[in-house]
Amino acid sequence: MLDKLKEKPTTRPDYRIIGKPVARHDAWGKVFADTKYANDYTLPGMLYAKVLRSQYAAAKVLSIDTREAVKLAGVEAVMTARDVPHNETVTRFGQTHKVGGFEGLYRVLAEKKIRFRGEAIALVAAKSLVIAERALGLIKVEYEPLEGVFDPVEAMKPGAYRVGEDESNVICSYKVRKGDIAEGFDLADVIVENTYRVPMVDHAYLEPESGVAWLDDDGVITIRAATQVIEHFRGIADVLGLPHNKVRVIAPMVGGGFGGKEDITVETYIALLAWKTGKPVSLTYTREESIIAHSKRHPYVMKYKTGATKDGKLVAMEAELISDAGGYVFLSPWVLLYSTVKATGPYDITHVRVDSHAVLTNNTFSSANRGFGAPQPCFAYESQLDEIAKQLNLSPLEIRKKNYLHTGDSLATGRVLEHSVETEQTAEKAMEALGAPSPPGSPREKIGQGMASSMMSYGRMTFLHDTSRSYVSLELDGSVTVKCGVQDIGGGQASSLAQITAEVLGVPLEDVTVYIGDSALTPLAGTTTATRQLYMSGNATYKAAMAVRDNLFSKAADILDTASENLDIKDRKIFIRPDKTSDPDRVLALDDVVKACAADGVQLYNVAQFNAPARELIDFQTGQGQVFADFTFGTHAMEVAVDVDTGKVNVLKIIACYDVGQAINPLSAEGQIEGGALYGLGYGMVEEVILDKGNTLTPSLAEYLIPTSVDAPDVKTIMVESGGGVGPFGAKGLGEPSCVSAAAAFANAVADAIGARIYDLPVTAEKIIRALGKI
Amino acid sequence: MTTTEYIKPGDLSDLHYIMEEYKGRATVIAGGTNLIPEMRNGEKAPELLIDISDMAALSFIRENNGSIAIGAATTIAEMAASPILLDNSPILASAAKQLGNPLTRNRATLGGNLANASPCADTAPPLLALDASVEILSPGGKTRQVPLSKFFHGYKFTDLGKGEILTAITFPKPNDSTKGSHTKIGLRNAASICVASIAVALDMDGKTCRKARVAAGSVAPIPVRAYRVEKLLEGKEINAALLDECMTVVKAEISPISDIRGSLEYRTYVTAMILKRNIKRALKQEI
Amino acid sequence: MKTYPVEIKVNGEWQTAEVTARDTLLDLLRDRFGAFEVKNGCAQGDCGACTVILDHKAVNACLTLALQANGKNVTTLKGVGTPDHPHPLQQSFVEHGAIQCGFCTPGMVVSAKALLDNNPEPTRNEIREGISGNLCRCTGYNKIVEAIEDASLKREE
Repeated sequence: MLDKLKEKPTTRPDYRIIGKPVARHDAWGKVFADTKYANDYTLPGMLYAKVLRSQYAAAKVLSIDTREAVKLAGVEAVMTARDVPHNETVTRFGQTHKVGGFEGLYRVLAEKKIRFRGEAIALVAAKSLVIAERALGLIKVEYEPLEGVFDPVEAMKPGAYRVGEDESNVICSYKVRKGDIAEGFDLADVIVENTYRVPMVDHAYLEPESGVAWLDDDGVITIRAATQVIEHFRGIADVLGLPHNKVRVIAPMVGGGFGGKEDITVETYIALLAWKTGKPVSLTYTREESIIAHSKRHPYVMKYKTGATKDGKLVAMEAELISDAGGYVFLSPWVLLYSTVKATGPYDITHVRVDSHAVLTNNTFSSANRGFGAPQPCFAYESQLDEIAKQLNLSPLEIRKKNYLHTGDSLATGRVLEHSVETEQTAEKAMEALGAPSPPGSPREKIGQGMASSMMSYGRMTFLHDTSRSYVSLELDGSVTVKCGVQDIGGGQASSLAQITAEVLGVPLEDVTVYIGDSALTPLAGTTTATRQLYMSGNATYKAAMAVRDNLFSKAADILDTASENLDIKDRKIFIRPDKTSDPDRVLALDDVVKACAADGVQLYNVAQFNAPARELIDFQTGQGQVFADFTFGTHAMEVAVDVDTGKVNVLKIIACYDVGQAINPLSAEGQIEGGALYGLGYGMVEEVILDKGNTLTPSLAEYLIPTSVDAPDVKTIMVESGGGVGPFGAKGLGEPSCVSAAAAFANAVADAIGARIYDLPVTAEKIIRALGKI
Repeated sequence: MTTTEYIKPGDLSDLHYIMEEYKGRATVIAGGTNLIPEMRNGEKAPELLIDISDMAALSFIRENNGSIAIGAATTIAEMAASPILLDNSPILASAAKQLGNPLTRNRATLGGNLANASPCADTAPPLLALDASVEILSPGGKTRQVPLSKFFHGYKFTDLGKGEILTAITFPKPNDSTKGSHTKIGLRNAASICVASIAVALDMDGKTCRKARVAAGSVAPIPVRAYRVEKLLEGKEINAALLDECMTVVKAEISPISDIRGSLEYRTYVTAMILKRNIKRALKQEI
Repeated sequence: MKTYPVEIKVNGEWQTAEVTARDTLLDLLRDRFGAFEVKNGCAQGDCGACTVILDHKAVNACLTLALQANGKNVTTLKGVGTPDHPHPLQQSFVEHGAIQCGFCTPGMVVSAKALLDNNPEPTRNEIREGISGNLCRCTGYNKIVEAIEDASLKREE
């Protein structure tokens, strides 16, 4: 263990805006309905698009006859695969470096084999939505239905139905090897072994996928769409066969992302139709389309075997993870790699063996979803921990405390955790807040308590050599402009940049205006995914703001006849720090220094690039290497009351405790943690996309259920601020980490209540009754 | 065919005239919470919509002469908050309060909930347990009464003939010795479609059950009465052995299916369980 | 397609349009009256994003025919308050961090207004019950409940 890494900062810096629960600058526009979301944008002469989707999950398209649709009055374009300049493009995973191994086929419109139900076959643009819908009904598609394969375990077997054109349905496989697993189980006094299953789930953002595309006066195809990734402009340009600089993507405020707007949604379709017609085209998915035909969180089958000594030390963990990627690859390889690295959780285990596989099936495709492969294994390893604890007569907290990783320890991948690891503290605080179990409300009610801890990375994988850029400029009146190509999906991505800038430049928050999300006009900041924006763009903005401040200070130092390093800035005033001067009244107004700089040609803006630490690709035979820059650690604790006659569960308490590093805005940080807890609770309690041979049986929000306001109590948030993150001011990322362990904590609480364990999510009333042996 | 016409009748005689004129081609719309999504999905396309949502003559909750009457266009929210129902038939108020969510309850009507004839119609089991009848206005202006237990013919199929409209629901005011209880099982606490429900109304003479009405939702093609359970309870003292027998009998009396919300086995099990619980709860026994 | 005239008082101003029998109030408000604050999240009454107050009652605009609103008052988020005259709910939603992506906000604030208009001092449970037709995927509802409770207290002052 590296003892020097365990030292914690003893004093917290005295921030002015950082760490203060200020109102987010974007909230006013939203509460007064001034914010224009993707579907609130209209242009003169705008056409309305619809997508014709496959009625089969597995089929060969024999013919498509669009003649009747084309003839319908008001129809301006009908497009099929043959009208798309480059219908198939290949996604190489990575931003700027070729990282080898995995390539994902992106097919705009179906040709050859249909690979999932709802796959897009044709596009229509018409003068009204009604006409576009009618035109869809006039397109005749002749199919030859194929048998398909719908279970990833079946799909892995030799001779299984081939989903695509490749020999095997297996997209990729990974390994982690630490120590000798057989030796590990020899050392174990108790061993538990089980298979866990987690369902396909939907992002269920309130705003369905939507956008408008038009040919701008300069001939650039401009797309204003609800997206987490404006940098899809490259992929869209490739489809159209245009230079990358002739496609521009603008992301307005997005009505929720959660990974579902990470892959391309409507963008390519509307770009093609605008390119073909020369007119603006809008497309918004129906809720049904969103659920049936867009990406989902991967269902997993997970075999886990864990061994511990009689005093509770974990000596061996063996895991096999199989993920159902659905019909196309999309981000499955990366999601699986995340799962593989995190398969043993925040625990120090002597001998580890992990094998994982992502497999194509004819189900709806899976890709990014909040947690990106972390929530699935968390349910499994946290179940295993409780099972071991039960056998050893230890409490869930005791077994975990004997095994938590700490700063300086190594993951099973050999990576040393050099930044703060406060999992144990979060667990202790969460369990303390949970308190003694409540008395049951009736004799038929059983109370249970459960906990679960997790680790989740923030920032992309280090071998992707991630970057972000941000521009900060002081205007002549002392107001501040930030331009940064982040997409704000509701997490306060833009607002936190305003706070960071205001802190550094000593101006009130309302003096900062942030321009975001325009691939042509704002410096590219990468994706709003991977819990990376505060970390990456926060650091880039900090760096740019510091550079501007350096210039200001250098001019102010001249005027005040002191050294730059003696200066401070606050409330639009530059002054010499009290300990550095005997004359504290010597204060310069920010505006005056700005004017002095302008007069002398001192640069009042800066574009900074932040580069994440870059590493080489890991060793895929052993999993050894560094995949992530840092992790966020935390614990959920829950108390439930289970009606043992009906199986109904009431959640009585939810505690969420996270090491946030430094809360930039405690209100926003709490909001992430509370929202994450319910997102995760939904996974544990109620959410499931149910498929029957690839057909979605839950295509509405009346069938695909997410928690309502009466399904959970207030979430009690506890924030540990270690200051040990790699984000600005020591912040760690929260967006995804905050949801990871909630489902596992819920399942553990139910198991505690009923004395029986459920091995597949969601933990429903019916499964509880079955686990109790009553049916 | 698409929906092209809309008429909002001013009063009942208008309504009756229009129903006669357009019989078969028209559909009555009140709250529209079922019909509008069905029209959007293309499942239904009535030529003419007859809007009764604002018809005061069909929106009332009245108690008179030992009978309670509820107009077909009364909203579910009005029912959930009605002092008459809360006092006299809390099982109906309870079911109303658990239907849909606050927004849909402000639009959805009692008439619509019944005329839609879904097995999971939340108000049906308590109304069956209350011996309710539906009042139907027929072409020609005649009114006929049909016991609710004879109103549902099959899945999404009722006794309403062409040109007929459901105008009101009536039930005898339960006497003081009648005890009721109602439970709905759903997958979440709001806006949930019923997985199984039970409503009981027991007229008690001391410990002996004089008259029993037991109804179940979501466990057959239509909301059903459990006649054999009722018969079993009537004239007997309710004790643990009888409750166990009721559980056995009700399992044989229902015919649930498996769907995305629950399996046949769970529905059967939980129906029996909530039956027992509701009888005990009606009798103020510890569950 | 046959059309019918409707006249609706939207946020205090009478507006007119010709609509078909099938058009919903949601279609009318967004596509014809430009009331983009009324959000379309599902068009099936399952999410509450299109909540408006129709003559004192919070309803889903997607589950109401345009013709059924004829002659009535409709209040959308823009009618609840403006930057110059914010409603206490709008103030408290911002101050309590009750807004993340903001897509549920218009429906949520309108539902909350209808709740407070009918029940000026709701308990936390009544607040949770009152907004249970409005889904929010970002906040976990905590801060929304706090904001509504705070606004109810401020209105009392």
